[in-house]
Amino acid sequence: MLIEILQQTINGLAIGGVYVLIALGLTTVFGILGIAHFAHGSVSMFGGYLTFFLVTSQGLPVLAAIPIALVAGFVLGLLIEIVAYRPVRHANHINAFIVALGLTMMVEGINLQLFGHEQIVIPTGLSKVFRLGGVTVPELRIYVIIAAIVLVAAMMLFVERTKTGQAIRAVAENRDAAILMGVNVNSIPLIVFGISTSLGVAAGIMVGALFAIAPGIGEGFVVKGFAVLILGGLGSFPGAILGGTVLGITESIAAGFISSAYKDVIAFVVMILVLLIRPQGLLGRSP
Amino acid sequence: MFNRVKTGAFAALAMAIATASAFAADKKLTIGVADALTGGGAVYGLPQANAVRMAADEINTAGGIKVGSDTYKIDVIAYDDKANPTEATNAVRKLIDRDGVKYILGFCCSGSTSAVASFIGNEKAVMLVGNAAERSITTKKIPNLVRTRPPADFTGQAAGTFIARKGHKRIAVIGALDVGFYAQYVDSVERELKKVGSEIIAREVFTLRDRDMTPQLTKIRALNPDAILVVGYVESAAFVYRQAVELGMNIPRYGFTSGSEEQFLRVTTSAQMEGVWDLRPTELDLLSASKNGIAYHANYTKKYNASPSPSSPYAYDQLYVLKAAIEAAGTVDDTVAVAKAIRALAIPPQVVMQYQPVDGKMFDVNGQAYTSNGAFQWQKGKWVFVEDLPSDAKAYSQFLSTLN
Amino acid sequence: MLALRDLRVNYGAIEVVHGISLDVAAGECVALIGANGAGKSSTLKAICGLVPVGSGSVQFEGRDITNASGHAIVRAGITMCPEGRQVFPQMSVIQNLRMGAYTRTDKDQDADLGRMMDMFPILRERQTQAAGKLSGGEQEMLAIARALMARPRICLFDEPSLGLAPKIVASVFETLAQIKAMGMTILLVEQNSMMALNLADRAYLFEAGRIVMEGPAKELKSHPDVMRAYLGH
Repeated sequence: MLIEILQQTINGLAIGGVYVLIALGLTTVFGILGIAHFAHGSVSMFGGYLTFFLVTSQGLPVLAAIPIALVAGFVLGLLIEIVAYRPVRHANHINAFIVALGLTMMVEGINLQLFGHEQIVIPTGLSKVFRLGGVTVPELRIYVIIAAIVLVAAMMLFVERTKTGQAIRAVAENRDAAILMGVNVNSIPLIVFGISTSLGVAAGIMVGALFAIAPGIGEGFVVKGFAVLILGGLGSFPGAILGGTVLGITESIAAGFISSAYKDVIAFVVMILVLLIRPQGLLGRSP
Repeated sequence: MFNRVKTGAFAALAMAIATASAFAADKKLTIGVADALTGGGAVYGLPQANAVRMAADEINTAGGIKVGSDTYKIDVIAYDDKANPTEATNAVRKLIDRDGVKYILGFCCSGSTSAVASFIGNEKAVMLVGNAAERSITTKKIPNLVRTRPPADFTGQAAGTFIARKGHKRIAVIGALDVGFYAQYVDSVERELKKVGSEIIAREVFTLRDRDMTPQLTKIRALNPDAILVVGYVESAAFVYRQAVELGMNIPRYGFTSGSEEQFLRVTTSAQMEGVWDLRPTELDLLSASKNGIAYHANYTKKYNASPSPSSPYAYDQLYVLKAAIEAAGTVDDTVAVAKAIRALAIPPQVVMQYQPVDGKMFDVNGQAYTSNGAFQWQKGKWVFVEDLPSDAKAYSQFLSTLN
Repeated sequence: MLALRDLRVNYGAIEVVHGISLDVAAGECVALIGANGAGKSSTLKAICGLVPVGSGSVQFEGRDITNASGHAIVRAGITMCPEGRQVFPQMSVIQNLRMGAYTRTDKDQDADLGRMMDMFPILRERQTQAAGKLSGGEQEMLAIARALMARPRICLFDEPSLGLAPKIVASVFETLAQIKAMGMTILLVEQNSMMALNLADRAYLFEAGRIVMEGPAKELKSHPDVMRAYLGH
């Protein structure tokens, strides 16, 4: 029983890490621009596809393909901000919402056109499995978990310890006051989209290496990402981290101990229960 | 000199007229394909649509369909039903109402196919179902519907007998059990297992989008089963096999996935697959294929620059069935006569799958065809055909007739 | 140092500042006084680039900064301590102060941080607390200190006493006097005209978007109209 709980927790950690990375991107974008960036999942999966393409068609080693994909993700994020969201920044929120939906369909379509309908798995060649007591962990999962922790830590450091990071927080908390501090509020959204998309691409690569990318997978992740935001508390960084981890592990434990048929349902039930007790989310500021 | 040129010109003119009149005798028969060309079901649907097109080209090149003194060249319109019931209904309505199509082929996926089957009985059209495995599609005895692929539980029955013979007592199932025909397959397996006192101790579910099966497998691991049975689409099933190994589960693995080597190796290493059984309709397998099958594989690969999926001949065979039936009925317009002729047909010589006739006919009274089932095992990077599964088409056909 | 000429500010179709001109010389403390809605705050916001200038010009140290973007104006040396404090509520006191120095790249930022906390000991006490958890008076001190962290050449204060208890108001003005004594050029908008005139060197009286009177603070303070309307005598 103990081994099972431990194993299920470890099972849920990897996917939880993916949720956290997706949610961090969503929460940053939401915090700065108030946009529900639905296309984030599809864009993230594009990064996974790109890595797959670089590895299988261009013959690059995975470790070389990943940085290229992350940089490409950053650039893609800039483009999305400039081309898709900037024109509607001062318009009604419904406009940005519709842009987000349209962008989702567009990116899904592009993914399908470029990479086809068959699921793809990024080949890593990592198939070793570690055993500790009764608990088993594939090495790839360990790397994914470590990479997620490193990326989250890097993001936290960036936001807490650099001027640009602090400016991002400042704009999210009080846009006018941030202007008075000399923050260029035109460049902050660019940086935010660049970084968020990079994080998303990292998540896409993890999904592609650990599981598979196929049409529709990205949309599933963005729904989970928003669930994490709400669970953790809108706009809260630690909330997204805690929420993603909790959701991943809850899903795993729910599937293992209650019913795999209702895995997703149970995860959302837990979310609703949390919100009944804490409407602002686990770590959200109280209204 | 002048004369010879003139003669030559006349000859050419005469040739042209002759050719034109030969063209005039050729008529066009437009057939429809409704299948999943995009989305999750496209793995099955797209190769089916390709297979129909290939069969049409072959038949046209060989002279077309001959009805009395007329020769029909086949024209194919394919619509994407995205494996979705609503889309499929729309696609078929469009084919019948707008394009005036009378013969509709394809149909890889159960949900969309069932939706069309529910109204096709009222139409002046003939529906030929391919890879869709849901049993109820042929339990209603719809006179203008036939299916080339046997229902999943026909195979399940054979698989259950096979697993029972291996002597496992406690078997854990993990699969896409929210899909009707996969559940039916497992029910059939369970019936056979019970006959020898074995049991299914767990039925874990994964959905079409699940790729992380470790929670389900961890639960199964704690139950200590003698074997696991994996039923579901290859995209998900491949992860079950891989993650079972990663979780250190060293027990016999049986499956019903029909995935190709290529599809599995995208997800797993060959070592992770070693020893896995796939208990499924024999379908297109080069090791057990007929001459037709080998030629089909070669032609398809050449034409589409990709290997055909093992289930794609279900659709290829549909068109040869249709051709034989139209020629036997002597009409392209009377769909009732053509539907009747299909039911009366012996197995046409050009088909790729290895059908088991019932009372000498390709389709039984339910409009259902039966192929042999095989036990395939993954050995050193390849699916190897090991043996035929013990399947009894006649007995199953009678069982199917009792359902509705 | 700062010169406004025929400045007009409008929110959409509604003009709220109807062509005003004013000057602030280096080292001077100038107060804008007048009733609520007279256009004082709008004038400050227009200087800082928070609201667009309709027509007229803003000159700072001889450079035209009319309608420059907000961050460019800060870099030019103008910092505003906004109405209602506007601290970053989730960020700590220290982080708020460091945000004040956002445009600076010099090495003295840490030293300035120390100086600010010497000046406002309460901020040192609360340095790791979220700014949103501070009391109104503490937040005002934080906002002032944050503005000073930019090392501005001119500091604009928008209603620093608004919504604070009288005792706190007094200490806010003590602080402003202290800052003035340090030689900082100050442009102050304040409804508490008495306090403002006590602090300022010169003052402008706003009425309905226009400047109706200007002069040395002492003169305005003793002007009968001002006394009657704004000083409550």
